[in-house]
Amino acid sequence: MADRADAHPETAPPPGPTSAQSLRRVIDHAAHLLPAQGPITVFIHHNTLHAFEDQAFDAGVQHGGAVFGCKPYLTEETYRDKLRLGRIRPADVREVLQHDLGARAGERVLGFGTRLHLRAGMMESPLRIGPPAELAWFMAETDALTRLRRDATPAGRRLPGETRRWVLRDLVTGPVPEVLRPAFARLGGVGRVPRWSDADWEAFALESIWRVAVRGAKLAPLPVTPAARLLRPRDRVLAAGGPDADAGVNEVLTRFTAAYLDQGVSRWPLPEREHGFLAAFTALYTGTPGLLDAWAAALPAELNRLRGVAPTDIVARELHLLDLPEADWAAFLEATFLALRGWGGMVQQVEVRADSVAHAITKGSLDEFLAVRLVLDRVAAESLAARLGPGGLDALPAVAAPAPALTPEQRAALVFQLAQVLGWSPEALHALTADQWATLYAELAAFPSLQRRRVFHAAFERQFRVQTLDALALHGGHANGTPTSPRFQLICCLDEREESFRRHVEEIAPDAETFGAAGFYSVAMYYKGAADAHYVPLCPVVIKPGHYVCERVATAFEASSSARAGRRRVWGRVAHTMHTLSRTAVVGAAISSVLGALASIPLTMRIMTPRTTSRLRTRVGTVLRSPPQTVLSLERQADPPAKEAAHLGFTVAEMTAFGRRLLEDVGLTKTFAPFVVVLGHGSNSQNNPHKSAYDCGACGGSGGGPNARVLAAILNDPRVRENLHATGITVPAATWFVGGFHNTCNDTVTVLDGDLVPGGAKPAFDAVLAVVDQAARRNAHERTRRFLSAPLNQSFDAAKRHVEERSEDLGQTRPECGHASNAICVVGRRERTRGLYLDRRAFLTSYDPTQDPTGAVLTRIMGAVVPVCGGINLEYYFSYVDSPGYGSGSKLPHNVTSLLGVMDGAASDLRTGLPWQMVEIHDPVRLMIVLETTTAIARAMIYDNPNIGGLILKGWVQVAVLDIDGPGMHLFQDGEFVPYHVEAAELPRARSSTDWYRGSRENLPFAEIDA
Amino acid sequence: MTDPDLCAALLPVVGVVPVLAPFALVLVLGVASLVGVRPSEAAINALVRAAMLVGFGASVGVFALMQAGGSRHVVLDAGAWVVVPDYVFDVKFVYDRLSTAMLLLSYLLCGIVGKFASRYMHREGGYNRFFTLYALFVLGMVTASLAGTIETLFSGWELVGLSSALLVAFFHERPAPSVNALRVWVVYRVSDAALLLAAVVMHHRASRGDFDQLLSAQPWPEGVCNVPQVDALVIGGLLILAAAGKSALVPFSGWLPRAMEGPTPSSAVFYGAMSVHLGAYLLLRVAPLIECSPVLTGVVIALGLTTAVFAALAARVQTDIKSALSFASLTQVGLIVAEIGVGWDYFALTHLIGHACLRTLQFVRAPSLLRDYRDLENNLGGALPAPDGPASPLSRALYRLAIDRGFLDTALNTYVVSPVVRALQACDRLELRTTAAVNGPSSPRTVEVE
Repeated sequence: MADRADAHPETAPPPGPTSAQSLRRVIDHAAHLLPAQGPITVFIHHNTLHAFEDQAFDAGVQHGGAVFGCKPYLTEETYRDKLRLGRIRPADVREVLQHDLGARAGERVLGFGTRLHLRAGMMESPLRIGPPAELAWFMAETDALTRLRRDATPAGRRLPGETRRWVLRDLVTGPVPEVLRPAFARLGGVGRVPRWSDADWEAFALESIWRVAVRGAKLAPLPVTPAARLLRPRDRVLAAGGPDADAGVNEVLTRFTAAYLDQGVSRWPLPEREHGFLAAFTALYTGTPGLLDAWAAALPAELNRLRGVAPTDIVARELHLLDLPEADWAAFLEATFLALRGWGGMVQQVEVRADSVAHAITKGSLDEFLAVRLVLDRVAAESLAARLGPGGLDALPAVAAPAPALTPEQRAALVFQLAQVLGWSPEALHALTADQWATLYAELAAFPSLQRRRVFHAAFERQFRVQTLDALALHGGHANGTPTSPRFQLICCLDEREESFRRHVEEIAPDAETFGAAGFYSVAMYYKGAADAHYVPLCPVVIKPGHYVCERVATAFEASSSARAGRRRVWGRVAHTMHTLSRTAVVGAAISSVLGALASIPLTMRIMTPRTTSRLRTRVGTVLRSPPQTVLSLERQADPPAKEAAHLGFTVAEMTAFGRRLLEDVGLTKTFAPFVVVLGHGSNSQNNPHKSAYDCGACGGSGGGPNARVLAAILNDPRVRENLHATGITVPAATWFVGGFHNTCNDTVTVLDGDLVPGGAKPAFDAVLAVVDQAARRNAHERTRRFLSAPLNQSFDAAKRHVEERSEDLGQTRPECGHASNAICVVGRRERTRGLYLDRRAFLTSYDPTQDPTGAVLTRIMGAVVPVCGGINLEYYFSYVDSPGYGSGSKLPHNVTSLLGVMDGAASDLRTGLPWQMVEIHDPVRLMIVLETTTAIARAMIYDNPNIGGLILKGWVQVAVLDIDGPGMHLFQDGEFVPYHVEAAELPRARSSTDWYRGSRENLPFAEIDA
Repeated sequence: MTDPDLCAALLPVVGVVPVLAPFALVLVLGVASLVGVRPSEAAINALVRAAMLVGFGASVGVFALMQAGGSRHVVLDAGAWVVVPDYVFDVKFVYDRLSTAMLLLSYLLCGIVGKFASRYMHREGGYNRFFTLYALFVLGMVTASLAGTIETLFSGWELVGLSSALLVAFFHERPAPSVNALRVWVVYRVSDAALLLAAVVMHHRASRGDFDQLLSAQPWPEGVCNVPQVDALVIGGLLILAAAGKSALVPFSGWLPRAMEGPTPSSAVFYGAMSVHLGAYLLLRVAPLIECSPVLTGVVIALGLTTAVFAALAARVQTDIKSALSFASLTQVGLIVAEIGVGWDYFALTHLIGHACLRTLQFVRAPSLLRDYRDLENNLGGALPAPDGPASPLSRALYRLAIDRGFLDTALNTYVVSPVVRALQACDRLELRTTAAVNGPSSPRTVEVE
């Protein structure tokens, strides 16, 4: 090994300036593929295939799937299940095929009907091709050649009769064709034909189809597939029968990268971490004594040789050593990055978003990560290749052995199965010439499984789209029971989990009105609670907040507060000490031998009775928690906004702008109720590393309670109201805004600053709260129908207790269903959807098109809606379609690492995406955004705003427009709005939501609720 | 009939229940799997709950009866299962201070973790498989805890090893769990072989494998060494080797963090709480034997302390919570072993019980790490103090030693596994050449074992 390594030049021939630039470009381009998920404590939903957004959806998922080695769609089997269950209708498949093929749909393929007919047949029944041995067994040992397949169509069932006519007419009289002789022989020869039973005729028909098809397959030329290139040295070793070099390299790199990125799990940080990835790695593996696995024996010498070489030069050197032409660089570096994509992506995220972590890393870390990987890859491959034979790595072929071509039997199996579905008679097949066989096999090869899945997926989406648009057109064609002078108004996040909550509020209180808006409520800020250590940004990730707000304990409680803060600090120190020292030797021994047995008490209680234990803990914790009476530092005394006391908060003008913007967005500018309740939301659960993914996406993966509270405070401010009045929005003096927080996991609503409500209005306000509380119980009830562990016939209160227990249960991996099943986004007035059961599947954004003639408000709403809702929808799509690939697989073996993410088990790549338990009940369909506006405004918005139109034009989200004053709808297809024709005559009706969903755990059709 | 008599009469009846309960559970769940019946989650939960409650209740009952009857050493003899000249294979269960404590601990922790797992594993494809292995584990743990003969101990020991290794490989659709389970399994086999050899030596010397034979019939821990020094040294040495493999003591420590592949509850109960302590339990059981030999005492103390120091060092640099907890566990196991060597038997037992409870709680809460850190920071009112990195060359060398896990796996691979594999390959070649020479040139075989 050593002498070979010595033969490497110190550096590559100095790369020319163009080559250096192009290397930079290639590295950046390859790095673009890495997952963009940041630290898991701030989970931002985003399109998993963000790197492919510049391609149309189908091209993007197929290309991305090929690059990442992941599935682009569900399996054919899954789609056929949906076909059986009516979730896909045959008409949907035909419509999609027709649209797909255009004019080519009607062309006839040989004598076998139209291309549309052929393709529909290929989708109707499963077409299976096994490996040659399995196929041979199947044909020989099963009844495949004696009985028609069970799902044969009527046309297929006619085959024995047709074959009989052919045999009696042409074959018993004339010479028997060579190919059919064995078929006759099996049934006793031509002489026995008159005595053949029905079963014999069936067997003969099948046998002759099979033999004719095999002969045809031998006549038709095989498509040539180019042999795969083996770019990475590891691929060459593996293809030559050696072990996987990545196994060792990934183990070393995982351990080291985790230590490099660690945000505080280890008590001993990595030496030289501050000097960067490469320096720390070199220091660790050259500067200290230690044993190395045999494959890594050459590593220290190699690292010593590279001392002082810039990381990109190391990359260039490795490319040179491997003799890779520049054209292959991109593919090679992509494959190299993807070998440990999760960790690579996290290096990139921590490097770029240094502000989002406690311990930042140096710039250029990702380049160094790549350089180290390339050196390790080569060292490992050279060492392993040396064991394979003389000549080492250089002697191993760089092109994969071609995959074995399909045998004639394998190709014939397709025709054999199709013949029974489409009724292709042996006579017709027998008559085909060699050219015609070539045509037939080419026709079949042009519609492979991947394309069938694409069509299936489009059909699945079409069925759902029709269901959705029909419901909105039929129900939304008229205003639905909106009160003229509402008792109270409720503003919730547009989150689809609030759809049911709002619906229940409206069912309980028909005189209430509800609105939806992005849950940061246009208040973008850094916020720090009274008991919090840090400021966190509460706004969508695309916005960088310009303001700081801090919560303080009310003056009257200051003394008690500081005592409690002191106790908290003491408790914090004790907890911290226990936490770290219980893992040391001496103190750990003292703790575990003296106090250890006491741990069985919390252990038993928390697992046996989670809900009661949590209540007990809350009561005991009262001595520590900061007092409930707090105030916000809302008004800024000095410029610029900053974390210092005088710089916290907003000016009155800024407050007015925020308030005004939200009221305009939701269209609440005229009829104000006495109470306007604004609810932020978040989710509380135990033992859940993905907790942030359940929180408010519009608040950057945190709880949105503070935003609601700030907004309410702003809109209660008399100066703000005065300013608003000057610009045409008059908030009556009798109107009071109240903030609150909806915990979507245990369905508890907490009111913030409720005691500021004027005394006289208190009874009326309490009545409002009673409605909200009851709605939360019903909401819990509607949610529990999705949980197998909750009985379907329990009461509202029992359901509430069930979700409370869930949120406190250490062993619960599904505290709530999160955004699973999200599929629709409606941007328009609530009266178009009020009373429509949307099954918690629709993001509901309030927007009044009658107050927005230019579409300016719509455009700014969509600026947040498309990335937030589209990101959530696409993340769920990919995490569902390929859970181990795009998602993070099962949650059960997850292991929190470096405070940044999770690994599977003891050590693995960092797992990005959503765990299976989170997406389990999702339906992977692209988001259907329905806008209440005109096609002209929508069209202009799509074409004039790349940040909105990008995803829409490339088909990653779907868009339709609902006419402002009628039921007419237009669907955005191929770049234009085309009129949509309603298919259904009417919607199902139910007396209440509960009546509609009761007894069912599945997705439900949309229905009109009478209440 | 006086009270002590009543107690004495009841004890054999109640005493077999803790063994029979998990045995019945294994039978029901295992047979159901074998005949292809897949019981529902609710049915499995009911069975597990019933078996654990009955077993735990009976264990408490035995404890109470022993207290009431004033007996400290109760032997349940299930008879000699094999009797040939000079060889008797007894199945015997012993209740004394040590085994009763271990039994109660096993039932408490396994029961709680069973309840946790009933929800944690909800809708997981291998639900039935998990609980079958869980039942097997409980049976093994109970049998090993109560064993009165080395054969009985060995059967429990094997069941624990088998169920542990299969649970490490629970997610067998990914390669890493299978690879790591194989590693665990191989270390366990080495440890099992040592235990088996110890049994053979005991039989060779005394024709039966009763611990009473070895340690006199005094109640634990008052036994005295009953065999000659040389025998004590050989048997003790083998038992220490067995214990070292099972409890992941140096140089076998590498498998412990690798065993964290299974679902969280199995990591918790197996490697945090129960099975990692089984080696220490074995040493506690034969403590009088160790005490009678200064050499054995020295070896046990050295092994325990080395493990504790190494694991404490390794725990400092781990960056994922499960590895950090597993090395923390190992630190305490090392100390417990050292305490046994020093002769602090009761303290070691208390330490073992306390540590098992504490670590189970920590393992079960492992996914809460992120939230715990946030709460800590909030309570402290700011970021956690950043620790200092290692600066001196010595501390850097220690860091490397810690992060590469003491090079133990590499050393085992390089100095044990590779030579063994090479030797076997040489044997294979030799055999091929010989057979080829005998048979003449026929059927060339070119399979190389890597």
